[in-house]
Amino acid sequence: MKIGVFICHCGENIGRTVDCPRVSKACQWLPGVEVSLDYKYMCSDPGQNMIKDEIRKKKLDAIVVGSCSPHMHEKTFRKAAVDAGINPFLVEIANLREHCSWVHDDIDAATDKAIDLVRMAVEKVKRNQPLTTIEVPVTKRTLVIGGGIAGIQAALDVANAGYEVVLVEKEPSIGGHMSQLSETFPTLDCSQCILTPRMVEVYQHPKIKLMTYSEVEKVEGFIGNFTVTIRKKARHIDESKCTGCGLCTTKCPVKKKAFNSFEENLAYRPAVYVPFPQAVPNIPVIDETVCTYYKTGKCQMCVKVCGREAISFDQQDTLVTEEIGAIIVATGYKLYNIEKKPEGSMIKGYGEYGYGKYKDVVDGLQFERIASASGPTSGEFKRPSDGKEPKKIVFIQCVGSRDDSKGFSYCSKICCMYTAKHAMLYKHKVHDGEAYVFYMDIRSGGKMYEEFVRRAIEEDGVKYIRGRVSKITEKNGKYIVKGEDTLASMPIEIDADMVVLATAMIAQTEASELAQTIGIPYDKYGFYNEAHPKLRPIESTTGGVFLAGACQSPKDIPESVAMASAAAAKAMVLFGSDKLEREPVVAKVNELFCAGCFLCKKVCPYGAVEVKEMKDRNGVVYKEIAYVNEGLCQGCGTCTASCPSKSIELAGFNNEEVFAQIAAL
Amino acid sequence: MEELKKLAKELLENKTVAAVIGYQQVDDKRTKPIIVTTPEDASKLVFNEYCLNNLAVYLTKARIKNLAKQNGTTLKLGIVAKPCDIHAIVALIQESQLKREDVYIIGMNCHGVVKDYGMDFSGETLATKCTPCDSHKPLYSDSNLGEVKDTPKVSDEVLEKIQAVEKMSHKERFEYFKKEFDKCIKCYACRAACPLCYCQRCITDKTVPRWVESSPHSRGNFSWNVVRAFHLSGRCIGCGECERACPMDIPLSLLNRRMTETAKQAFAYVSGRSLDTPTLVGSYDVKDSDELFM
Amino acid sequence: MSDKNWEPKIVAFVCNWCTYTGADLAGTSRLKYPTNVKLIRVMCSGGIDPVFILKAFERGADGILVSGCHPNDCHYNAGNFHARRRWTFFDELLEYLGVEKGRLQFSWVSASEGKKFVDVVSKVVNDVKEMGPFKSYDELNSEFMTKFPDMPEIDKNMIIKEEEAV
Ligand SMILES: Cc1cc2nc3c(=O)[nH]c(=O)nc-3n(C[C@H](O)[C@H](O)[C@H](O)COP(=O)(O)OP(=O)(O)OC[C@H]3O[C@@H](n4cnc5c(N)ncnc54)[C@H](O)[C@@H]3O)c2cc1C
Ligand code: SF4
Ligand code: SF4
Ligand code: SF4
Ligand code: SF4
Ligand code: SF4
Repeated sequence: MKIGVFICHCGENIGRTVDCPRVSKACQWLPGVEVSLDYKYMCSDPGQNMIKDEIRKKKLDAIVVGSCSPHMHEKTFRKAAVDAGINPFLVEIANLREHCSWVHDDIDAATDKAIDLVRMAVEKVKRNQPLTTIEVPVTKRTLVIGGGIAGIQAALDVANAGYEVVLVEKEPSIGGHMSQLSETFPTLDCSQCILTPRMVEVYQHPKIKLMTYSEVEKVEGFIGNFTVTIRKKARHIDESKCTGCGLCTTKCPVKKKAFNSFEENLAYRPAVYVPFPQAVPNIPVIDETVCTYYKTGKCQMCVKVCGREAISFDQQDTLVTEEIGAIIVATGYKLYNIEKKPEGSMIKGYGEYGYGKYKDVVDGLQFERIASASGPTSGEFKRPSDGKEPKKIVFIQCVGSRDDSKGFSYCSKICCMYTAKHAMLYKHKVHDGEAYVFYMDIRSGGKMYEEFVRRAIEEDGVKYIRGRVSKITEKNGKYIVKGEDTLASMPIEIDADMVVLATAMIAQTEASELAQTIGIPYDKYGFYNEAHPKLRPIESTTGGVFLAGACQSPKDIPESVAMASAAAAKAMVLFGSDKLEREPVVAKVNELFCAGCFLCKKVCPYGAVEVKEMKDRNGVVYKEIAYVNEGLCQGCGTCTASCPSKSIELAGFNNEEVFAQIAAL
Repeated sequence: MEELKKLAKELLENKTVAAVIGYQQVDDKRTKPIIVTTPEDASKLVFNEYCLNNLAVYLTKARIKNLAKQNGTTLKLGIVAKPCDIHAIVALIQESQLKREDVYIIGMNCHGVVKDYGMDFSGETLATKCTPCDSHKPLYSDSNLGEVKDTPKVSDEVLEKIQAVEKMSHKERFEYFKKEFDKCIKCYACRAACPLCYCQRCITDKTVPRWVESSPHSRGNFSWNVVRAFHLSGRCIGCGECERACPMDIPLSLLNRRMTETAKQAFAYVSGRSLDTPTLVGSYDVKDSDELFM
Repeated sequence: MSDKNWEPKIVAFVCNWCTYTGADLAGTSRLKYPTNVKLIRVMCSGGIDPVFILKAFERGADGILVSGCHPNDCHYNAGNFHARRRWTFFDELLEYLGVEKGRLQFSWVSASEGKKFVDVVSKVVNDVKEMGPFKSYDELNSEFMTKFPDMPEIDKNMIIKEEEAV
């Protein structure tokens, strides 16, 4: 085997601390090395031409390039090798920059190490096998998980480009948190009014398969080729018969057993219900836990009134599988319920604010419902305890955000804005009312955002107090809010009629479980991780899985929508070609020696190892052995290290190659 | 004993099993394995304190497996098994080497066996594997035979030796094991006797690349013994057959038992005890200790 | 070689996605660490076989680092969880057999932890320097060399000498 060694100076980057000529000269003497050269910039056109010329001239079989990290230019040099007629997998990179010149000062020692690194690469490349890239087909269908504004936008974009979409929403209706909002900053336009048309568009779109009241149960496969199992929860209503007249919901005798979660528990709902009037689809669900029929076997009021015989008490959950090429995760957020300490977390909670104890201490979403024209008070400002109009409201920002000791250390980003909005909406309706806002800082970066906050302060007379509230107590129907005005350095006490807490935006309750189902990483708060914080904010690290909206970090609507459209574009990039190329780094079983212990099968994170029956001449199975499905194998090599008898090997990183590197140490 | 003979005879007669793997008396203080294939031979079967072998090792051997194949159908293989031997059977089932329905387990109540043939059974001569044994009643057996007697109570010799080793300095320990391993002649009797060393080709026989140097010098001996012990970590069921088979008297149980303790302490796992739990090796728990990692 | 200017030989087996990339970041950030350590890249920490460790000791390594992605961050989801179990056993086994703890060390270093990578390798190098050459294993190795003098060992000094002769 003839090997060529090419040492790059990377301008001064390598050359300054590694004596490149000495490296290339020393490597000339390595067994198998035919030619060893150094050059200023190997990645440049002349550098690459030099490699190609040498390959042709000296009829090289393999090359080693001593340069920057393989993560930078491995592709470049592989391509050069291919151009000159050698297999791309007979190229090895010795990382002389990131792992040598940049991290060491001593020229002699660094040069010695560089020689070692090249020698290791030479020994490896001698054992490398020529491999051919694997082509896999792409299923041009997208799964969108979560039907909030982000999911809706992503689904519409992909569908409008002509690709099929499956939109899975766990609630009975799509819409997400945006459907609960009253009016939206910074323009104060009505949330429902701008959202509802989009929801209807989703419903009517011929390319979108909408699955509400459904959850993703299992994701198998890999980029371009996922098989997703979706659980369609039993609605107990036959969707094909229901016309959405809603008679059943009005006649249901269950009145005060279940809180209306859309109204943030400020109202009740019947056992058979549509979450809100504009729901899409406008088909009710029956809540088994409160329905009288499921309790006593009697009632069936809904059955009596339904003219379409759509009620079906014995409907069961069904499992649906879908073939999918790309997944967009848009599962959004939830609010930190400070009444309950999130389980298993170090968070201490805010007992001193009396949330959950005092009826008039509410959180942001509850206030949205109170302010909403379609809410429980029809948009009249009435406090929950006695229905009176509050004359003094205290808003507290950063409850649970930016608080290492009791909450989460991150900033929830949107609370400054919606608190200003809340105070403004209140002042617009209750002209003689007073609004106080306790804040730490006002963070209003964004187009027209700062202006919006200034408007609240200057035009609407909202009083901003910099400082934190230490305690809220109740006295004769008033809430005594004790805090400190840190700008004036004095304690402050306000007797409010109502208190609104801008609690932190946190990850969905089951965010980490879903992440594990899909196979994407998440941060310590449960928000999903992007592949690169700056350059790849839309992709997850798992190929073919993209992120949109507040499931990645707290976001407002415009940001969620922008991210959703970007995720849609990413999915469509994938659909731009019929086949995907994959590195052929996959495991292969030695059929002769596999003992069929299936340890490899147990450890494989992708379920890529299957059982293969070995049959004798008469077709009788004489043993069962492991078999790797190349399509599913992602090339981690966990199986190879687990196999006791070493009967499974990873192409491209096989054990012989590793041993050769060790031997060359 | 009569019930064992009777049962084996019946099983063979009514073709429930193709063969019964059991023990046969050699002299009054020695037995040897026997594979009974005819109802007549069933009378040769015995069970007593001299039944040292872990017969589960035979269940994975092709030639024995072939006995079960008769006229196009597969019968069961009967096996006379001590409770500890059943642990090996359980582990084999978990590791796909055996199907539960392919064996008929004649589980024997057991109160211990002797260290070696020719000894009188007493506390002093009780096999070291039997002192910490807590499963005198067989699990998962299809028939459960034999008298129930108390096991003599004696101290746990192997554990004491392990503790003594752990008191040594690293250097002393290395020296100690080096000396022991140096005796190894690479006969692989340990491997042959182990029910869980069923690999078609052991790692040490793999030549390209060479994983474990096969020539008997300190370095090769060291890696062989490390690799064997590691491969059995979390899997070894503690039958002690490897140590008993070793012609050079290398104290292999000092390694096996030490790893068994790790499995117990770090992962609350004992191998071969339950068909319903996933094997320790091959599964993981997100909450496994992270102490080892910086 | 006299003990005074003895430099330990350290090998690090690292996963491609986290630790290798973290080491890249250490470079991009121009952080410094000793030259003793050489990295061998594998795809996942789950793919590192304990026999690699033995092989490296056989080839004269004085200290070894095994490093991968943090739990829950594995590029392949679960490779590192399997690795964690595997190493728990192997580490205890080696220690029991008399290999000092510091000879074989483990870490999780993410792609963004360039600084941590430097800290970890520096610690391994320092620990091993303190312990000195791995005499115990050297004995095994030298016995091997005397018994089998003809076995080819790649001698880097030889190569350098030849180079100087040119
Ligand atoms: C009080 C308050 C006021 C706000 N006011 C404004 C404002 O005025 N202007 C503005 O721009 N922004 C505002 N926001 C922010 C806005 O709510 C979010 O930016 C937006 O809702 C994010 O959309 P999303 O689609 O990412 O998430 P969500 O709206 O949370 O939607 C996520 C959807 O996914 C579904 N889902 C979750 N998990 C699963 C699962 N496992 N399977 C299937 N489906 C699942 C959920 O049911 C939900 O329908 C406000 C937020 C709050 C708390
Ligand atoms: S681990 Fe090895 S022996 Fe066991 S099934 Fe897999 S390839 Fe075969
Ligand atoms: S290398 Fe092995 S464990 Fe990893 S994905 Fe492929 S088959 Fe599964
Ligand atoms: S290693 Fe020894 S004690 Fe453990 S199962 Fe195998 S033969 Fe029995
Ligand atoms: S030592 Fe390991 S590879 Fe060899 S037979 Fe036993 S388990 Fe298999
Ligand atoms: S039985 Fe003993 S001598 Fe034989 S290979 Fe095993 S340890 Fe070595």
